[in-house]
Amino acid sequence: MHLRFPKAWELPESAATPESAYLNRRAILKTLGLGAAALALAPRGLRATTAGFPTRVNADYRDPALKPTSYELITSYNNFYEFGTGKEDPKPNANRGWKTEPWTVELTGLINNPIKIDANDLVTKMGGAEQRVYRFRCVEAWSMVIPWDGFPLSKLIKFADPKPEAKFVTFTTFNDPKSAPGQRTGALDWPYFEGLRMDEAMNDLSFIATGIYGRPIPNQNGAPLRLVVPWKYGFKYGKSIVKIDFVAKEPVNTWKAMQAREYGFYANVNPMVDHPRWSQASERVIGAGGAFGTRQKTLMFNGYEAQVAGLYRGMDLRRNY
Amino acid sequence: MSAFLEKLLRSKLTIWVLLVAPAVWALKPLFAPAPTDADPLKTTLLHLGLIGCIVLAAVLAFTPLRVLWPRWGVAQALNRHRRLVGVGAFAYALLHFTAHLLHVYDGGFGTFWKEIQKPFQLIGLGALLILFVLTITSINAAIRWLGGKAWKNLHRLAYVAAALAAWHQADARKIFPLQVVWIFGPLAVLEVARIWKQRVTSLPPPGTTPAQTS
Repeated sequence: MHLRFPKAWELPESAATPESAYLNRRAILKTLGLGAAALALAPRGLRATTAGFPTRVNADYRDPALKPTSYELITSYNNFYEFGTGKEDPKPNANRGWKTEPWTVELTGLINNPIKIDANDLVTKMGGAEQRVYRFRCVEAWSMVIPWDGFPLSKLIKFADPKPEAKFVTFTTFNDPKSAPGQRTGALDWPYFEGLRMDEAMNDLSFIATGIYGRPIPNQNGAPLRLVVPWKYGFKYGKSIVKIDFVAKEPVNTWKAMQAREYGFYANVNPMVDHPRWSQASERVIGAGGAFGTRQKTLMFNGYEAQVAGLYRGMDLRRNY
Repeated sequence: MSAFLEKLLRSKLTIWVLLVAPAVWALKPLFAPAPTDADPLKTTLLHLGLIGCIVLAAVLAFTPLRVLWPRWGVAQALNRHRRLVGVGAFAYALLHFTAHLLHVYDGGFGTFWKEIQKPFQLIGLGALLILFVLTITSINAAIRWLGGKAWKNLHRLAYVAAALAAWHQADARKIFPLQVVWIFGPLAVLEVARIWKQRVTSLPPPGTTPAQTS
């Protein structure tokens, strides 16, 4: 029989700190760090437009299978050409004195209730903010999962009360070359301009984001009001909106005007229709898989086929990309 | 100063250090990714391509520098290392391609095959293949096998590779990236000056018309 007599310094397994507690300690330290950072940033955070709208999680839009990307990555890896063409550019450049509060947005065009309204007043009128976790797919074949706070676009449209002739909704981004270094270059035709068909805009998924992870949406992510249409490529998500115009004819969005061969009006996520320079069949998952990263298959309409496929029945999606 | 630089550049070790150091920078994200690096492999892929373009443009500038300033020691020193730097350009192109292969790997290479047929990627692949052929024929024996003239003509393909690389780099972004001009612009200027100088010097000296010489 083999007998083992533990040495005095050997601790029983039961004395070991459970891994979860150990990891939790790290989380606590991290939270403390975040807290300190939040405190340092508090003046901006508290003053920010759309601050002070406690978010209610909308359980209908919280798929437990979706693992949200870290706040850090969502707010530091951005395409926002107004503040530079590199993905690391917007975070520093959009926080060098560019004021996103107070903020006025104009509802105009073929509507019964044209109005210029403060962004905070608008959020109040929309009944405050709710949180939805959506997939995000960039046309450059990378993806994130983002907990957006905000309100359904359909509420805003009902508030604007469109006339029957209004068939499209357009979104115009701010234009302020003094604050936005990118707008002092001819990189794009400023201001950035996007649009949706009315039935797309009225879809349950269409959303106006005012926050991320329950905090006011940072400047680099398109403060204070940003369009979110999760079944479309990211460039459709007009940022820092100053004007929502209801029109009768299909608008020409900025990227379509720039490069119609590569970017269309619909920009629906579609693994079967390639970009001229790369495949859209799969995507890099940001923040997953370590240094070498990982790729996953892209889903039709970014996984929202059940909700939106009906909008495009009978349409040739190869031609209407 | 120029003498010191010349001495430094004559050393193979200097060139090796200059060629390898950027690789350390490019590959670092894979071993020590920053928490804010959303896609370290993509960062590495882009940096390898960038260095490859710079090294290729640099090695092609050696000859025009020597033609334009034949007595400049630095130009002479650089021209000792044409093979090494040229192979270095191929090495970066190959690493860039490998990083791309890993980047599009999604359990299979379906995405890779689909993408490699697109002009943007074919152009890059063309440059890589040229650099590959030039690398395997860079040994002394290859000059003997091919004969000096054929070898020289074959290695003129390096200019085609540079043109393809510049095109590939320009096509990589949605908006024309100015770095293409910084990298390949000086080379283009040097080449034009070199061709102009070689034309002028290959003409008979002014004042010596056929009538006078007879």
